[in-house]
Amino acid sequence: MNKFLLFLKTVFIALILFSFATLELKAQISGTVSSVKIGDAKEGSDLLVVVDLYSSSSVSNITIAYQTYSQSEFKIRDMELQGTSASYNIPAEDIKLPYLTYYFIISFSDGTQETYPLGIPGEAEPLQLTVTAPSPKDKEVIILSPAKGELVDVADFFISISLIKAGDDVDVRATKIYLNDKDISDMALFAGDLILFYSDNFPGEIDKGYKSLKVDTYDKNGNLYHSVSSDFQSADANYIRDVASQFKSNLLLEGESRNEQFNDESTWYNNISADYNGSYDDWKFKGYAYLTSEEKSYLQPQNRFSASVENNWFNLRVGDSYPRYPELIMDGKRLRGFSGSINLGFFNIQTSYGEVVRNVEGSLIQTYKEDEVPLGSNIIAIDQAKYGNPYGEVNLGTFSRNLLAIRPSFGSGENFQFGLTYLHAKDDNSSVEFGARPEENLVIGTDLKVALDDQNILLTGQAAVSIYNTDISTGTLSDSEIDSVFGSDSYFDADTEQIKDIKNIIGKFITVNQFLGPLNPQEFSSLAGEAAIQLSYFYNNFKASYVYRGNDYKSFGQDFIRKDVKGINISDRVRLIDNKLFITLGYERLTDNLQETKIATTTYQKLNSTVSIFPRSNFPNITLGYTRYQNENGISKTDTVNNIYQIDDATNRFLIRLSHDLEIKGISNNLSLSLSTSSREDNSLSNNDANYTSTNLSVNSYWQKNLSSFVSLVSYSSEIAKVEYNYTSISLGARYRMLDNKLELSGSISPSFGDFKRQSVDFVAQYQVMQNFSLVFQFRLYRIPDQSTNSITGLSTRITL
Amino acid sequence: MKANKKIISVILLIVISSFITGEFLISNDETPIALIKKVVKDVTYKQNEEADWELAKTGVPLQNGQEVKTGTKSLALILFTDGSGLLRVRENSILHIYGEQEVNKLNKNTFIQKGQLGFQVSKQEDEQFKFTTPTVVASIRGTGGFIDVENDSSTTIVCESGLIELQATGGSRQSGSLSGGNSADIGADGQININPTTQQQQNQLNMNKQTETKKVKIKTKEGEIEIEYLPEYE
Repeated sequence: MNKFLLFLKTVFIALILFSFATLELKAQISGTVSSVKIGDAKEGSDLLVVVDLYSSSSVSNITIAYQTYSQSEFKIRDMELQGTSASYNIPAEDIKLPYLTYYFIISFSDGTQETYPLGIPGEAEPLQLTVTAPSPKDKEVIILSPAKGELVDVADFFISISLIKAGDDVDVRATKIYLNDKDISDMALFAGDLILFYSDNFPGEIDKGYKSLKVDTYDKNGNLYHSVSSDFQSADANYIRDVASQFKSNLLLEGESRNEQFNDESTWYNNISADYNGSYDDWKFKGYAYLTSEEKSYLQPQNRFSASVENNWFNLRVGDSYPRYPELIMDGKRLRGFSGSINLGFFNIQTSYGEVVRNVEGSLIQTYKEDEVPLGSNIIAIDQAKYGNPYGEVNLGTFSRNLLAIRPSFGSGENFQFGLTYLHAKDDNSSVEFGARPEENLVIGTDLKVALDDQNILLTGQAAVSIYNTDISTGTLSDSEIDSVFGSDSYFDADTEQIKDIKNIIGKFITVNQFLGPLNPQEFSSLAGEAAIQLSYFYNNFKASYVYRGNDYKSFGQDFIRKDVKGINISDRVRLIDNKLFITLGYERLTDNLQETKIATTTYQKLNSTVSIFPRSNFPNITLGYTRYQNENGISKTDTVNNIYQIDDATNRFLIRLSHDLEIKGISNNLSLSLSTSSREDNSLSNNDANYTSTNLSVNSYWQKNLSSFVSLVSYSSEIAKVEYNYTSISLGARYRMLDNKLELSGSISPSFGDFKRQSVDFVAQYQVMQNFSLVFQFRLYRIPDQSTNSITGLSTRITL
Repeated sequence: MKANKKIISVILLIVISSFITGEFLISNDETPIALIKKVVKDVTYKQNEEADWELAKTGVPLQNGQEVKTGTKSLALILFTDGSGLLRVRENSILHIYGEQEVNKLNKNTFIQKGQLGFQVSKQEDEQFKFTTPTVVASIRGTGGFIDVENDSSTTIVCESGLIELQATGGSRQSGSLSGGNSADIGADGQININPTTQQQQNQLNMNKQTETKKVKIKTKEGEIEIEYLPEYE
């Protein structure tokens, strides 16, 4: 076994050397995104993703698209854009082994879009992040006291660490305890598997303030077994008494001013934010305001504000909120208005009402007389008395859109919940002068969750139908208008009496006219639904799901949903060898053309397999994966009429990912290496064969408690339709803390070579002036040879009251 | 003379150890079953049936078989050393802590002699977590709630969430399951009566969860006195 481990270790080191030698390492070079900060992805824990931009001046919106191995489509969510950063917290239920696939969609003020990495889909592959299983060792080392985030009285202060659940190979007495980086292990008492430290025994040793606690455990060979950490605050009794009073509150104020120099153009950006948290008994109060100089009347809102009150059965939020209903209907879309819920368990109700799109006025380009007006989507009727002519060519404005959603549900959701959802959204036709085709949308849905056998069997399902009117400017048709617009002799060939019946029923909820859809409801074109069963037995997590999305399904609460698709997705994950080995297998088969609106039906198949090894010893974590995509629509190359629509391609993708914590001469290093190669064989006429190879190596080193550094080498090599594109990027950086950790300096340099050339330098200094007051200075320079040299200089402050 | 020196050394060692360990002895080999996380007002504990009650302080480790007693308007918070649960021992209560450590697990059994005990227990894998009263044994897998033992030994158990298996110990020795949102009354006759939690019991549960104290300063002729107390909640 040792020889085998030695062999694998040799292979790992060889791979690292190979990757250095060939420099075939991948970078997702972008002129917009500076870096992506993403934490440790652990199954069952939220994951914060932060995108840093070189400049925010031209960016209007950023969304993240992510997908777990068992999901058949990417979930696309708006990120919170503040200054030069955009962030999104991926909820724990979407973080699953063995990896998360993700990319970003950046929208610019001029209406254009790009992805990060550049060129998705088609010219680049999304990023992947290894998701690790929560280490069972986390449960072996238990910090009993103080609890995480606890406020403790200095006079009663004690630390208690339990190793009751630790394995026999752990040497309890070798455990090291660090309080604010100071080793206090010698002051601890050992009682069997319990470690205790009492401040009473060491007067003056524990002072007031924020404390970080780190516990390192070692095996009987003296190797580091596992580390856990926590933080808390110690204070005197009077302070605690004040905090423990019935009403608690704190206020965090932040301000930022930065200058962006883009070639010769200099622009200042300023923003301030206030974040208030208060509580009384079991009631919580929150307030948030973010004001930025980037707020413009011709853009969607950049400022944010909200106030909320909640307890365990009630919550109400006013201002900006991101309500979550069943995913098909509304899931995290920003709404400015009211959102609230009452949760009684046996009966619950959730509702939201407010503006999801702000009105932005358009502008008049030129006017036309009635007899000379051309055709065009931006030619609209205008006020003749005001502008002299009855028609005008305009830059179309955006109507304000209000949305109402209500969801009553029955059951607490722990083992059973049945819900019904109603959503109605409508553009305000009078909100702008130069606008066209205001829209209206109605969605009705239902959802069900049943959990059996202690949640080992989980059945979930949701379905929704939508009605969508693409132009409500003329209002609901009268009976006489229906007679003239519809009928066998008219453009809209439909039974007029049937249309009148429909109007009488659904006209109470939505505008009924010739622009109302779907036109073919009997074909379930506006139906969306999915059902899934999950079984957790014998170390298996099995999931089978069926999805159906009609091509006319539309919800104004959910902008990002794949339509015109149906099929199955089956996946299974097996945990073996005490959670050290995970094997995942997945198969998906989807087809489109549900309402036969296309020339041919395409079948999309995906086979996914991954093996993840987490040895929990002095050996790398390894993930090996193979994925095959196969798409074909049955059109033959010899079909001279339709062969330009032929889809017939197959893609094979392999990946190897290794990560390892290695201690060399007392220096802790975290190494990770990722190799991914993809080959697409396109048998259609377009012959868009594509090959990619990407490699990513990073080494984080912790030289001493105040100094850490990182080196990363990324490279990309592709050949698409026989056109090669290769580049390499190197990043070197370090972080140093000084003056009793009050000053933190960090800097990095990142040059790129090859077909894409760029150099960037970052420097950040953060100084904690007082315990509740800190200043951050940031400087960033990036240069594209022979094109531009740009910089950002910023100062921000943070005050906690 | 040498023997005397040895005895004096041992006594000195014990005295120094007791001083160093914050006035309570800590065995090097035996892992405590629980420890006292917080003490409000009058909380005492004793090593065994024969020992005297000693004043409890924050951080006192509790070994198998030790007892904890609370006085009027007093409170003790107890943590099990496997991190599995928190007990809130309300006023005028007596409980006995029992536990058995096996490989990587701890089987817990708490005997509530009288009084009220709130509990918050995380989900148990293959470990036992039991509460015993004079009339019932309650096996917990993962739940919150409280147990009230009256002077006549009758027991009321309120289950906030999860599931509790009950086995009456007297009379007809009925058994049953108590799920979240329900309460059970168990008398000496061994009958178990399960009903939905009443508003009064819900209020009791809310009060049971309150562990924050208030302090008042009273000026007297002799100087200022500070009194810490548990506020009454409606």
